[in-house]
Amino acid sequence: MGEHCCGLSVGESVPDFKMETYEPSKGDFGEVSLQALRDQKKWTVLFFYPADFTFV
Amino acid sequence: MISVSTDTKFVHLAWQKDEKLLEKVKYTMGSDPTGYLSRMFGVYDEATGLALRGSFIISPEGKLFNSEVNFYNLGRNIEELLRKLEANTYLGIHGDEACPVGWKKEGDKTLKPSAKMVGKVYEALNK
Repeated sequence: MGEHCCGLSVGESVPDFKMETYEPSKGDFGEVSLQALRDQKKWTVLFFYPADFTFV
Repeated sequence: MISVSTDTKFVHLAWQKDEKLLEKVKYTMGSDPTGYLSRMFGVYDEATGLALRGSFIISPEGKLFNSEVNFYNLGRNIEELLRKLEANTYLGIHGDEACPVGWKKEGDKTLKPSAKMVGKVYEALNK
């Protein structure tokens, strides 16, 4: 467990992260990092959900 | 806009291609198989290895502006998420203003907090 064991709070700085992605618009795999999004001056929305092939 | 679950990118691909409801999806589908990112945002359920329904808005400076987490059975209100995103974007440009209760879109009444306004919010909103 890192220093953010229990979740970030509003107002805190989000540490850089990187993850593998699937890009439906290209039909291809990719990678995204917070730093790259910040470099593009973008607002980021992370939308977590339990699992693919589920219902809600 | 990035969706994130603990599924791999391969499962994302299979799901997006298989499920007709996702035919028009354009957003990036992120993969967090280790739960690293889900834990960072406090939505990782250790009992199931799945992520709870959390939505987070991060500014271009990397600061967390909004967080909302639902348990398994409750879906989110996307309109509310977009409202918050629009409000944050607006406030990012108009830093001295505030979006009061019920603020929906640019053009709606905002407040400029000041000493004069203390106790006079009603008047400020209705002038």
